[in-house]
Order: sequence, then structure tokens, then C-alpha cells
Amino acid sequence: MNEHIVRSYGDELKQLTSDVARLGGLAEAQVSDSLDALSRRDVALAKTVIARDQKLDDLQKEIERSTFRLIALRQPMAVDLRHAVAALKLSMTLERCGDLAKNIAKRSLVLADAEPLTPFSRSMDRMGRLVAARLKDVLDAYSASDLDRAIAVWSRDEEVDEHYNSLFRELLTYMMGDPRTITASAHLLFIAKNLERIGDYATNIAEVIHFELTGEEVASKRPKLETLPT
Amino acid sequence: MSQSSFLNRLTAAFAAPQRPSAEPAAPTASVAPDPLHEAALERLPDPVAVIAAARAGGPEVLFANAAARTLFGAPHRRIGLVNLIRDPGVLEAVDEALFGRIEARSVYEAGGAQDRVWRALARPLGDPATGPRLALLTFSDETDAVRGERRRADFLANASHELRTPLASLIGFIETLRGHAKDDPKARDRFLGVMQAEAGRMSRLIDDLMSLSRIELNEHITPLGQVDLTLAITDVVDALTPLVRQAGVALEPSLPPVGAATIVGDRDQIVQVIRNLVDNAIKYSPRDTAVRIVVSADVSAIEAVTVRDPAASRFSLLDPDRVEGRRYILLQVSDSGPGLAREHLPRLSERFYRVEGQKSGEKLGTGLGLAIVKHIVNRHRGGLGVESVPGSGATFSVWLPRADGGQVGAP
Repeated sequence: MNEHIVRSYGDELKQLTSDVARLGGLAEAQVSDSLDALSRRDVALAKTVIARDQKLDDLQKEIERSTFRLIALRQPMAVDLRHAVAALKLSMTLERCGDLAKNIAKRSLVLADAEPLTPFSRSMDRMGRLVAARLKDVLDAYSASDLDRAIAVWSRDEEVDEHYNSLFRELLTYMMGDPRTITASAHLLFIAKNLERIGDYATNIAEVIHFELTGEEVASKRPKLETLPT
Repeated sequence: MSQSSFLNRLTAAFAAPQRPSAEPAAPTASVAPDPLHEAALERLPDPVAVIAAARAGGPEVLFANAAARTLFGAPHRRIGLVNLIRDPGVLEAVDEALFGRIEARSVYEAGGAQDRVWRALARPLGDPATGPRLALLTFSDETDAVRGERRRADFLANASHELRTPLASLIGFIETLRGHAKDDPKARDRFLGVMQAEAGRMSRLIDDLMSLSRIELNEHITPLGQVDLTLAITDVVDALTPLVRQAGVALEPSLPPVGAATIVGDRDQIVQVIRNLVDNAIKYSPRDTAVRIVVSADVSAIEAVTVRDPAASRFSLLDPDRVEGRRYILLQVSDSGPGLAREHLPRLSERFYRVEGQKSGEKLGTGLGLAIVKHIVNRHRGGLGVESVPGSGATFSVWLPRADGGQVGAP
């Protein structure tokens, strides 16, 4: 990256946090670009997303290396240790989000060749925007060290699940109605699942932020839809 | 004075007092900013920020004018740029300006409920040989151009699809009337009645589509003016009296005194929100039941989304961006109708979405009412939610920022 001459312990921690935010930004861009590629059937954009995944992998490895170096050389305690561990966990989670977005982009390439399934593009877009907004919220909370905001994301995973279940049911009906749409519908089903996973990761990130800021696990149980769609 | 030398002096002056004494002082720290230029920059309508390279943690924001602080949601102090904008395109552009010393551009979508699109431009600033590495980062609003294009496409697709059905039925009846029903006065009367209903439906649909597209175009512009919700609701209730009587339903408003529930808003649009919600409630109410209209004058964003009935499922159709300490006025409209099943809730404000089993002709709706409500509420930086117990009714909640919260628009 740029000409960083890291000098002090404080600088190292600061660098770590900003690298995580940078990775977060990349993950956000992957998610929203993959959704745009899907809804606009934009093959070039999908390919950009697939190619950019390498950047996320590299940055994640970089964060991993500097975290280990920091822990080994500086032996951080208490808050600083939690910062370092949070950076490590977040970087892994964000890299996973990036992978899921890459997968969405790959599937959008297949879908761009098929007949458009217009009834779903809007619902998928909605669910995607909801998930992207949650990822943005939780990363904002990380940058601002805002516990309330993180908790707000954590306690509202249910909405993404609602969207997923609703889409699942619809896609199933659609496939039963017209077997020719099964290939495309199956891809859409996986895309919805990927988005649902990214939503879950956003809640995980909120949990990590909670631990980073307070030193405690989130106390109560997360509201969760227990029933699977049928 | 050239623009860039002015900016150099300005940034130096802004940066100087915030620099810890142990670090090398900015080279031009003794130059005071020209107050007129400073004020001019501060009040520019477009976001402008000055970015400096830092030792660790990526580039830092030295100065951000009022518009930029609103965009970033950031306080006026030195802070790492990546803490405010994570967008990789903008960060790369800034890096290019700082280290490559070339001008770079990127598109920045800020996200959030209003969803604006900006064109970001980063330009190198100052001379790295003699001073700190600086870059000027400016944003111009491209929302109208980008969204306008997308909306036009959507509008055409929606409108043509929904207008086709009533039009096809009109054409069918006209053919019949010119053909074998020509001399049958009874059939002719019946057909003309149906044709009038279909034409009425098309006309309502066109009205709704037009008003929706108008609202969407203004969606990211904060409204001016103040609206007293109590007065607005009273007006709507009065206007709906004939409809209410016809439906055999009672309206039960429970409102705070006049003056206690004032919001910043566009009166006509707020009236449309109330009207659409109450209209809907009346439509789904069985005879001899009541539609309750309740206004709570002072709630927090958390209280506004709290479920009151433990048996109910709740869903937020729209959530405003979080603003610390903002207080809301909550309007709730409840009916005692059939209610809505959980799986329909997420999609209620989608255009033309109709709950299964609900015949579109019977209830005289266009499928756009809630979409209109949602877009108006979003323009007013408010929220929209629905709560329902299948079998015993639904409650729609709208919460809008209080006028005396004073935080609508610029902070």
C-alpha cells in the first residue's frame, strides 16, 4: 500500500483499525456491485467483482500478519488485546462476505445468459439493499466505536430472514409452476442464501464489536426465526 | 489569489492548532485564514474536504466544510478518512491525488435511507517538496441524473403492465357493444357500468403513478414548512366522513392538543400519508368496527419500533438513518380487519404488490398507496412500520421527526 512508516504502538493499532475499515469498504463495494451486476445484468461489472476478490484476500492476510506481529512483539493487554483480536476476527468475517459477493457475481453471469425472471429482481434487490445497509451500519458502528448502533444491527437480523423465507417460498412456487425456470431459480435461491449469510455475518461483527468495547459477550439471546421455510 | 494557494493557507491554518507540539509543525502555520474565504468555503453547498497524508492509519481529514460534515456525519476535527468513507473508489482517488499527484474521480454512493449518488473528485493540493502532502476532495450531487434515468425505466415498465389489464377489458367490451350486444339495452347498460369502473381504475392508477414519480424526484430534498399533525388528521377525518358513513365504520382519533405535535414537512404530502393509511384501514374494516388513529407526540426511535402486542408480528418497511437524540411523533392507524400474515409484511410497500387471495377489483386499490406513503415518509426522514395479528387487525405506524428536534436537514 502507501508509504507507511509505522513507528509507535499507537500507530500500529491505528493502522490495524483503519485497515479493517478499508477491508470493510471493499466488502461493502463487493456486495453492492454484485447486486448491481445482478439487477442490471451487467457482465462487465460482475467480472470486476470477481477480479477484485483478490484484493480482499490480500488485505485480509496483511491484517492477519500485522495482528500476529503486534501480539507477538507488543504483547497487548485488556482493551488493546481486544482491539487486536477484533481486527483479526473482523478481517476473516469480511473476507467471507467478499467471497459470498464474488459467488453472487459468478451466478449473475449465468443468469445474464438466461431469460430474465423479472418478478424476483425487485424482491432480490430489496433484500440485497437491506443486507448492504446492515453491513454499512455495523461497519459505521465499528469506525465510531458506537455500541448502541452495533446492538441495533445485532437485534434485527430477523428482517433479513423474513425476506429470505418470503423469497424462498416464492421461488419454490415459481419452479413448480414452470420447470423451465428451475436453473435460474436455483441460482437465485443460492444468491438469496448468500445474502442471508452476509446478514448473519453483520450480526457476528456486531457481537465482536460488543466484545471489543465492553469485554463481555452479548448477554441476551438474539431474536431468531426458528422455523424453516416450507 | 489563486484558489489553490488560498486553500493551502486555509488548511495550514486549520491544521495548525490541532497538531500536537511534538510533531513537526505545519510550515505555514503562522498564516491566519482569510475569514471571508473561510466562510465562503464553509458555506459552499457542495461537500469539500482537505485531506492530508498521515504516518499511520491512512489519509486524514484536516478540514471539512458544513456540507461535507453532513455527508460524512463527522465532527469538525482531524480524523482518519477511512473512518468516514470506506468506499474503495474514493479512497483510491484520494491516494492517487496524494501520492500520484494526479487528479482522480470516482462515483460515491453514500447509502442510507435517501440513497444519494455523488461524483467524487480528488485533486493534489500544495507542494509535497515544501509542505505536507495534501489533497482536495470535492463531491457533486449526481442523484437526479442517475436516479431519474432508472426511475423513468421503472415507471414505463410498471405503468404499461398495470394499464394493460383495464385497457384490454375496455377494448373487449367495446367490441361486444359494436357486435352482438348492439341492440340489447340491458347488456349495454351493464357493460357501460363495467367500462366506467375500468376507466376510473385506469385514471386512478395514472394519478397515483404520476404522484409517485413526482414524490420520488424530490425524495432527497428535505421539505420546508411546518405541519401540525393534529390539525392535519382532523382535516382528513372530516373529508372522509361520507366514505366512512358508506362503509359503516367509525373513526376514533385520539390526538394530542393542537400545537403539541408539529413536524417539519410538506402539508399536502403529510395529508396524503394520513389519507392513504386511513383509506386502507377503512377498506379492510368489517362493518360496525372502528378505525383507531393514535398520535404519540414524543417518542424515541427505539420506542417507535417497539411492538405493543406480544402476539403481533412486526416489520419495518422503512427505517430512518439514526440521528443521536432525535425525537419523533408517532402516528398509528389500526383496523380490526383480517390482518396480514407474517410473510406478506416485508413486501407490503412494493409497487403493485397484492396480498394473495385479495381480489384487485373488489377493493378499488391501485397497489400504490403504501409505496406513496413510504416515499413521502422517507423524504421527511421518518419511518414506517406494520404490526399485525392475523384475524384481528393490522396497525400501520409512521414516525416523523419533531419540528423542535431541530435536526432535520443540516445538523
